[in-house]
Amino acid sequence: MKQVLLVLSLASGLAAAASPQELGAAYAAEAARQAPGFQPSARRGAEFYARRFAVSEKMPACSACHTESPLQPGRHAVTGKAIKPLAPRAEAARFSDPAKVEKWFRRNCTEVVGRACSAAEKADFILFASAAL
Amino acid sequence: MKKILVWDLPVRLGHWLMAGGFALAWATGDSESWRLVHVFAGSTVMAVAAYRLLWGLVGSRYARFAEFVRGPRQAVAYLKSLLRARPPHYAGHNPAAGWAIVLLLALALASGASGWLTYQEIGGEWLEELHEFLTGLMLAVVGVHLLGVLVGSLAHRENLVWAMVTGRKLGEPAEAIRGQRLVAAFMLLLWTAVGAWWLAR
Repeated sequence: MKQVLLVLSLASGLAAAASPQELGAAYAAEAARQAPGFQPSARRGAEFYARRFAVSEKMPACSACHTESPLQPGRHAVTGKAIKPLAPRAEAARFSDPAKVEKWFRRNCTEVVGRACSAAEKADFILFASAAL
Repeated sequence: MKKILVWDLPVRLGHWLMAGGFALAWATGDSESWRLVHVFAGSTVMAVAAYRLLWGLVGSRYARFAEFVRGPRQAVAYLKSLLRARPPHYAGHNPAAGWAIVLLLALALASGASGWLTYQEIGGEWLEELHEFLTGLMLAVVGVHLLGVLVGSLAHRENLVWAMVTGRKLGEPAEAIRGQRLVAAFMLLLWTAVGAWWLAR
């Protein structure tokens, strides 16, 4: 239900195309509704990105496919296919389509983290990926 | 009426390979750890569907499109007849089932093609969206097909699921097909193995 509300709020708050800043702000606003005073943090995002959840054997962490840096092109841990960088600085289309962003958070959080990610984690993640130098 | 051989071995093997492949592909579609299994399962469905097109032209009597593809009016008339006490019995596919088969084959090929193009990174992201839409549609038709099998089994007091396992259905002895088509069944397995391997590379 929370996910549905978030998608709805994202869909209504933003048009089909959005900037990473707008998308991050929408997640941050959602997180602030759940925990007043929430501020997104690139440092927390970086910690999350590097954390070994070890839920999946082949994909224990984000970095298993996306490498140590979101600026680098990645490689699918199972198929070996190339993955474009996550950072908007390296791949302009990143975090510009709310539906696509939700889809991949849903898929990858379920498999890598072992649960759905919170709005706070998504806000931190987007800020980290956008701020990557 | 007696139990007679109606479905040859390629029809039955193809049916269960497709059903199993679709179920496996559906179950693994959202997972990156199972991506290779998903692609192989989808490729199997595609390879079987392609073989079935050919078999629909040169296969045994009840496998041929000419035997079971009928107009929409006949399909509707058959569905209406199910409400009556004694609906007409077909040794092969009834007119409504014929439509389910054509739709499922078309969707298997279209969904498979869009999924394959997505995996090979040919074409844009719209193909991924199309793939998801087509598989959703295919699942819906599978649901209608299963409902049809249940209703048909009850209406004709005949276990149609088991008929797809043994190949035997109620009919007049003169209507039976003569052989299982073992060579064609072997060719189907060979074709599917090579085809799925080639597509999933």
